[in-house]
Amino acid sequence: MGKHSVLIAENVSVTIGKQKILHELNLKAEKGEFIGIIGPNGAGKSTLLKALRGLTKNTIGSVKIFGREIAQFSDKEIARDIAYMQQEVNLGFGFSVLDVVLAGRYPYLSWWQNERKTDYEIARKYMKFTGVEALEEKKVNQLSSGEQQRVLLAKVLAQETPLLYLDEPTASLDLAYQEEIFRYCQSLCNKGKTVLIIVHDIRLAAKFCSRLVLIANGTIIDDGKPGKVITAENLKNAFGLNAAVYTNQISGKLDIYTFSEQECLLQNKKIHMIGGNGTSGAIIRKLYEQKCQISIGVLEQGDIDTVIAKAFQVESITTQNFNQMSEMTKLENKQKIETADFVVLTNCNYTEQNYFNLKMASLAKRLIVIEDTPIEERDFTKGKATVLYKNLLQKNSVTVHKSDTVIEEIRLEFAVK
Amino acid sequence: MLKKLNNRTIFLILVVLFFCIVFISLSYGQIHIPAQAVLAIVAEQLHIPGLENISVTQEQIAVIWHIRMPRTLVGILVGAALAVTGAVMQGVFGNPLADPGIIGVSSGAALGAVLAIATGLSTVSMFYMPLFALMGALLTVAFTVFLAMRDNKISVMTLLLAGVAVSIFLGALTSGILTFISEYKLREFLFWTVGGLDYRRWEHVLLGFIPILAGVSILCALARQLNILVLGEEEARAVGMSVAKLRLILLFVATLTTATAVCISGSIGFVGLVVPHIMRLILGPEHRSLLPACALAGGIFLVGCDTVGRFIIPPAEVRVGIMTALIGAPYFLYLLRRAQKGGLF
Repeated sequence: MGKHSVLIAENVSVTIGKQKILHELNLKAEKGEFIGIIGPNGAGKSTLLKALRGLTKNTIGSVKIFGREIAQFSDKEIARDIAYMQQEVNLGFGFSVLDVVLAGRYPYLSWWQNERKTDYEIARKYMKFTGVEALEEKKVNQLSSGEQQRVLLAKVLAQETPLLYLDEPTASLDLAYQEEIFRYCQSLCNKGKTVLIIVHDIRLAAKFCSRLVLIANGTIIDDGKPGKVITAENLKNAFGLNAAVYTNQISGKLDIYTFSEQECLLQNKKIHMIGGNGTSGAIIRKLYEQKCQISIGVLEQGDIDTVIAKAFQVESITTQNFNQMSEMTKLENKQKIETADFVVLTNCNYTEQNYFNLKMASLAKRLIVIEDTPIEERDFTKGKATVLYKNLLQKNSVTVHKSDTVIEEIRLEFAVK
Repeated sequence: MLKKLNNRTIFLILVVLFFCIVFISLSYGQIHIPAQAVLAIVAEQLHIPGLENISVTQEQIAVIWHIRMPRTLVGILVGAALAVTGAVMQGVFGNPLADPGIIGVSSGAALGAVLAIATGLSTVSMFYMPLFALMGALLTVAFTVFLAMRDNKISVMTLLLAGVAVSIFLGALTSGILTFISEYKLREFLFWTVGGLDYRRWEHVLLGFIPILAGVSILCALARQLNILVLGEEEARAVGMSVAKLRLILLFVATLTTATAVCISGSIGFVGLVVPHIMRLILGPEHRSLLPACALAGGIFLVGCDTVGRFIIPPAEVRVGIMTALIGAPYFLYLLRRAQKGGLF
C-alpha cells in the first residue's frame, strides 16, 4: 500500500445520455488529506464522487485506488477501501438505527453470515462517535434529519475504510453539527484516513479542509490549499459570484464578502479616501462593488480602516506614527489626492495628529465631504480643525453629503457626466 | 434483549395460532368431526402410536385424510409462498405496495397454465402445467420490469401501473382462450381466475411442496441482503452489494415460488400485501425475522380465510381467492390512503 497514492484519477470523463458531465478530470489524493470539493450546483461534484467510487456507467479514464485500477476490484473489495455517504437513502422502511449502522459491515460478511459480535462492537463504537448511541433502538425514519445524517455518518465510519467520500454530509444540519462533522473528519484525517467531502459552505471548507478542489461545468478550475483556491477570480469564474476574499481579523480565518452585480457607473474611477478609525469601511465596500480604484491615506498602522482596506484590495498609505511621518509618505499621499478623480473625506474625528489629513484635503480637484455629525463635535484641536473645515466647504469643488446617500449621489453625478 | 424476547413471544403466538387454525380447518366443515377423531386419524396415518383406542369411521378417515388434509396443506404452502414473496418483492422494489400479483406474476402464471390446459398438454403430463405457469410468470415479470426500467432504475409508480395494464391484457388473452375451449376444460380454467383450495389432492401437495419449501428457504437465507437492498440501490452498491445480480436472483426465486403457488391453487390476490404489512407493523422491517413470520402468518391467513369461506353461506363455499380479495382490496386502498397522507410506517 505504502508507495502508492491513495487515489489517482486520470482523464476521467463521464457522459450521461448525450450530456458530458465531467471532462477529463485529474485528481490525486494522499494519505491524511482532507479534501473539500466545492463548486456551484450542477457542476458535477456528486458525479465526480460516484465516478471515483466506480458507480457511474459511461466513465472513461482511469481511477486507481492504492495503485490498483478500480474496475479490478470486486464489489465488496472496493467497499472495504471506500465508504461513500450519499444523499439518496431510502429510510422509509423504518429500520432501527443499529440496523442501519450495521449495514456498514456488509462488505466484511459472506452471504450466509450474520453480523458477528465484533460487528456490533464496531457499529456501537461509531454510533458513540457521532453521538447517536442513545437512539440505537429508535426507528430511523422517526428521527430528525440531523440525527439521520449522523446515523448515516456512523454507518459510513463502520465500514472502516481508508478512504471516505461524503456527499454533503452537513446538509440539513444546524451550525453546531456542521462544524462537528468537519471536526470528526479532521480528526479522522489526522489518524491517516483520506476524506473527500462535498461542501457548499465555502467558509467551513476553507476553515477545516487541508485542500480544496473547485469544480465548475465538469472541470477542475483550481486545486490546492484553501488560500490558493478561494480567490475573488475563482469565485467569479465558478459561481459567477462577485466577492472579496480576505482574512477575517477576528477569527483569523479566510472569509468572503459577496455582493450582487450592478451597473458600475464608477468603474475604474480613481478615488482617494481620507478617513480612519473605522469611518471608511461602509464607503470602501460600496466603492469596491462599483469596481473603483481606491486608495486611502494617511492611516496610522493598526487603524481598523487598514484592515478593511486590505480586505478590499485598497491601496493604503500608512505611517507608523503621525508624529514621525516621513516626507515620502506625505508626497505619496499628495500625489494620490491630486490624481484622484475625486477625494472622499469621511466623518472622522480630528486631533493634532491627523489634522494634517484635513489640510491635504484642500488639494483635491473634487472633494466629497461626508458629514453625519457636526464638525464641532468631532474637533479635538480646540477649534483649529473647525475653521479649516468650514473654509474647505466654501470651495466650489466641495460638496457635503450624508453617509447613507453619498454613493447614490456620486453615482448620479458621474452618470450625468 | 427486550426486543429479542418480544420476537420470540410473537413467534410462539404465531406457532400456536398456526396449529389452532390447522386443527379447526380439519375438524369443522359440512361434516363435523370431533377433535379426538381428527387427532386419531392424523396419528394413525402418520403411524404415531397411542391413539388407537379412539374409534373412527371410514367416512371420517376419507374426509380428513383425503379431502381436508391436502386442502389445508396446500393452503399452508400457498399462503407461506405468497406472503414471503410479497415481503421480498416489497424489499426488492423498496416499496411496501409491491406484490407479485400486482406486477403480473399471477396473471402470467394463469395464462401459462390455461395455455397448457387448452392445448391439452396438461393431460399428457402433470408437469406441463407448472412448467407453463412458471414460464408465463417469468416472462410477464421480465416484461413488466422492462417497461418500468429506465437508466437501470425501476420507477415504482410505473411498475405498478405497467403491472396492472399487463395483468389486464393477459386476463383478456386468457378470456380469449376461454371462448375456444370445451366446457369440461372450462371448469379447470375457472380455477385459475379465482383461486381456491377446494378439490386439492395429495398430488397438488407433492407438486408444490419442494419448490415452495426451497424457494421460501432461499429467500429466508437471503434476508440480510434484502435488509441492505431496502436502503436503496445506490446505498446497497455503496456498501459493496452486487445489486443487479441479487435483484435478479430474488426476483427469479420469488417468481418461481409464486408461480408454483399459483399452479396448485390458482391466483389468489392480496395475501402478499396484507400479511407482510401486518407482520412489518408487529416485527419491524428486519427481514431475518420478517420472512419466517410471513411464512407462518401467510399459512394462518390463507387457511383461516378458507375455513371462514366454508361457513359463510352453507352449503355453498366461497372460494378463498374471493375471501382474500374481499379482505385485501379494502386494506390495500387503506394503505394507499395512508401513503398519500405521508408515511406508511
